[in-house]
Amino acid sequence: MGRFIASENIPVLLTRLATDGAVWAPAELPDSGESVVFAPWQPGREVVLDRFTQMSPKELVLPMSERLLSFSYTLTMEGEEMEVESAIPGGHTVIFGARACDAKALVVLDALFHQDPETTWSDTQYRARRDDMTVVTIACVKGTADAACFCSSWENGTAEKAGSDVIIYPVPGGFLAEAVTIRGTEVTGWDMFDDSDQPLPELDTTDVVDFDGLVEKLVTPGVFSDLDFWGRESHKCISCGYCTYGCPTCYCFNIYDEMQGDRQGERCRSWDACMFYNYTVETSGHNPRPTIAHRWRNRLGHKFSYYPANQGETLCTGCGRCIRGCPTGVDIRDILRAAGEHE
Amino acid sequence: MADLITAIKKVLEHTDLVLGWTTATSTGVAAPARFYTADEAEAAVFDSTCVHNLAVHLPRLKDKDVGIVAKPCDAQSVVELVVEREVARGKVKVIAAPCRAMLDVKLIWRRFGYGARIEDEGGRLQVNGREVPREDFILRKCLSCESTDPVIVDEQVEGDGHTGGPPDVGGRTDDLKERFAAMSVDERRAFWAEQFSRCIRCYACRDVCPMCFCRDVCLMQTRVPHWTGGSVESRDSEMAQMIRVSHLAGRCTGCGECERACPVGIPLLLLMNEQYRLIEEMFDYRPGSDIEARPPMQTFSIETDLWEGG
Repeated sequence: MGRFIASENIPVLLTRLATDGAVWAPAELPDSGESVVFAPWQPGREVVLDRFTQMSPKELVLPMSERLLSFSYTLTMEGEEMEVESAIPGGHTVIFGARACDAKALVVLDALFHQDPETTWSDTQYRARRDDMTVVTIACVKGTADAACFCSSWENGTAEKAGSDVIIYPVPGGFLAEAVTIRGTEVTGWDMFDDSDQPLPELDTTDVVDFDGLVEKLVTPGVFSDLDFWGRESHKCISCGYCTYGCPTCYCFNIYDEMQGDRQGERCRSWDACMFYNYTVETSGHNPRPTIAHRWRNRLGHKFSYYPANQGETLCTGCGRCIRGCPTGVDIRDILRAAGEHE
Repeated sequence: MADLITAIKKVLEHTDLVLGWTTATSTGVAAPARFYTADEAEAAVFDSTCVHNLAVHLPRLKDKDVGIVAKPCDAQSVVELVVEREVARGKVKVIAAPCRAMLDVKLIWRRFGYGARIEDEGGRLQVNGREVPREDFILRKCLSCESTDPVIVDEQVEGDGHTGGPPDVGGRTDDLKERFAAMSVDERRAFWAEQFSRCIRCYACRDVCPMCFCRDVCLMQTRVPHWTGGSVESRDSEMAQMIRVSHLAGRCTGCGECERACPVGIPLLLLMNEQYRLIEEMFDYRPGSDIEARPPMQTFSIETDLWEGG
């Protein structure tokens, strides 16, 4: 027996979820060229579930910018004393309206940020957010994936459940709900859901990219050393950061101090992007990745070779945001395929 | 008037490459392309999905002789790049293409799904085989386009049945621009605070801008000296953008690429238009309109009376 929630009860569900913590859901903000982003839900705000979001919910585990700690220096008779206060995020977060690719991306990020702190290391801020979170995913039923999607390149495709607590499937009049975790069973047990014996609707399929052999190929001298190849393939790229910032798995960051005067400040972490020149420029002025071609080689290598080799997961879930949102029409699949066919 | 492919081939005889567009096989819309040979030029297209301003690539190609297919607004960027000595006039050939008003491809795909089939012929727009009102999907910048005649032309080509003159916007006006113009200063402040709360600091606005030729040493991103805060709080993002806007004073030709590129739809052209209007009022200067001009920010004298036609 499955569970069903009527469309008009979605606000009731969101209101109930909001008693547990901050609910973030896709919304179209005014005068935004119809872009859809995850925004804090409030009663009366319409949730957009039938279009793609320009930004992924990654920011809820790895915010665009955050304070890691505050520090201050005071002069005493004994000399200078430093006080440090770390900022550990608290409070439950609900991601409502992620897609399967977005939820899977959280698991991909866990492989790096959420390792066992006893044996390796773990990111305190990331873990605090990730451990206190509910993910409600909207299933990509027939007709809802688009030409930029390529999650079917992985075995589970649109049927991926990793990272979701609850998956909701649009059906006439409402949504069928499938509990994936214990938290999911709790949520779908609430009384805004009814029992239902409707079968789950069929899921969509997407474009497929063949990643076979890329882990090794991207680091072999042939394609790796061929900078002309990377230059040709990336000629459209203007080296902005959208493909990495929109990406649900790109996690690079910068750590820096925001000073208030010279005796106190905050240590902050913000997203950074490997497509920026500044990302690799060294204090000497030397930049090991001076051109866009160098940066593309690294971007693909990191996603489809180094990360899988080191963490066991591809650093991509096929969400297609980098393709949909690229201002110059770069399609990462074209470059992947060209790399696969190189020589 | 030559057809596009012939013009590109002709220009290729005197240049290393031509920047233009070809049809992307996956989506059917125009994608930026580089043509090095006459054979490659066979794939060139020009239609109402050629939204990109390819002049952005010119400063990175300084060591090459480059041909560029340019809409009237793109040609203004080429002019201003020459004026700013970022591009040598002798090293660039402009293939001027007339423009019927570009389509907001991103908006069409946000509504109908990425890759939805776009057919725009004779002023009739069809998406996935169904006719839709063309005027609803015109790029916002084209609604108030004034750049109908390119200032520099090395080769003039035919458009898709449009032979120059003002773009065809179906009588539509720019509702957002009108609402913004009517706002008080406080309302504008609130408007931008709300808009920039969405900014993700991807710098697509800067990187897509032909006139942001500082490129890799941009002040928006410096940590030393610490001009802009690293947070994505609205005030920090606004500050970063205001630095960009002020650096573009007397340079920005209003091509609108910043707004088109913004992944979260911040209507940056409103800021740019306002700044353009002020520069025109203060200095009687319209960037991109005169290849012999000296930009006001390079000729300013403290004695100049800005408001009395000085």
